[in-house]
Amino acid sequence: MMGNLLEHMGVDRNRLHFSWISSAEATKFVDVVKEISDKVRALGTTKKFAKDYTK
Amino acid sequence: MDTCIEKIKAICTDLFSKGEVEKVIGFAGGSIPMATRPIAVTSEADVEKLVFNAFCGLNLANYVTKNNLPKDGAKIAVVAKGCDARNLVTHMVENQVPRDQVYIIGVPCTGMADKRRIAQRFEDEITQCTQDGDTFTVTSALQQEVIAKKDVLRHNCQYCTHRNPPVYDVMAGEPVEEQILDQPFPDVDHIASMDPETRWDHFAELTKNCIRCYACRNACPLCYCPTCFVDESSPQWVGKGQDETDITTFHFLRAFHCAGRCTDCGACVEACPMGINVRDFTRKLNKDALDLFGWEAGMDLDRRPPLDVYSPDDPDDFIK
Amino acid sequence: MADDNIKIVSFLCNWCSYGAADLAGVSRMEYPADIRVIRIPCSGRMSPKFVLSAFREGADAVWVSG
Repeated sequence: MMGNLLEHMGVDRNRLHFSWISSAEATKFVDVVKEISDKVRALGTTKKFAKDYTK
Repeated sequence: MDTCIEKIKAICTDLFSKGEVEKVIGFAGGSIPMATRPIAVTSEADVEKLVFNAFCGLNLANYVTKNNLPKDGAKIAVVAKGCDARNLVTHMVENQVPRDQVYIIGVPCTGMADKRRIAQRFEDEITQCTQDGDTFTVTSALQQEVIAKKDVLRHNCQYCTHRNPPVYDVMAGEPVEEQILDQPFPDVDHIASMDPETRWDHFAELTKNCIRCYACRNACPLCYCPTCFVDESSPQWVGKGQDETDITTFHFLRAFHCAGRCTDCGACVEACPMGINVRDFTRKLNKDALDLFGWEAGMDLDRRPPLDVYSPDDPDDFIK
Repeated sequence: MADDNIKIVSFLCNWCSYGAADLAGVSRMEYPADIRVIRIPCSGRMSPKFVLSAFREGADAVWVSG
């Protein structure tokens, strides 16, 4: 639901990820990191919800 | 609804004479036209102060919390519209107040009027407003208008599908017909149809006038935490100023804390001095709760809220 | 629009994903260096506040893993 509300506010759904990995699943961990990293790299950086401390 | 107040008064007088309740929480007339205020009536003599009209937009469940219940276990009675009663049920489901300490005087409700929409029709200050059934006669120094209630209904009341209290001890009047809506969430669908940047801009525009007075939080019966996240300072989750990030963060988290609990009573919008429709946030959560979990808050004393329990049927397609 | 300067704040459960990350490290597996790991005692410790404060401090994405 949190992801849905973020998306409703215009934040891309691919900026919030959830996963479930057992401590024995190192390969799954690596796969998930790669997948998330690819998706977020495609989106680039964002300033939404980021505080501008220089103001 | 006109006859409701007579029944409410009769019920209250009866309750006091039998000594069943310590106090009655209801609405009293305000000091300006189109206003009411919450009141705690403690004796039979004060029952006359109670009113019930189309401007009782606040949620009285807000005044029934752990800390202001009588410590000796005595009962208090609450005048409750459909949404107030649902919020009382939410309190009970969340173990904030015991069912046997609250006497719910259910009021069948045909919706509350939006005083901002009435005021928009006038150039100067409204000096008098009288209600006769479903019409208002509103007077200012320059003009007088007769307005039908259905033309100035609050937005949340237009899309209300639970006008009658689902749980009550006594009803002050015959239940009214419930609305059946083809599209219960047209406003949410409208925002969802925008592209992401427009949605972001929509919410930025919506909250740009926010003065961070927290009236929305204080009017909300769900916000009973002893320390709100906005007041926590170590760590500080959200800044105090009117920085747009802080404003957005505050509204996002305030709304999210209402996920699966909000009854769309509209008290937050009613209380907002800047006229911000903060329901744009919570409505999306209400729609998701209904779509994903088939859940509407405050309908049942025995069912646990969806975010409170685990079920193997919970949607999990967002988890990798 | 590939961007190499992204930061993904990762909240990993001590007993599950953090263990997996440890095992991946011990096994000398290679994975992208975009993630910044925060160990939480259990996924139940997670709170929406954490997600927003990660974004607030400049994260480009948040990953919660149990």
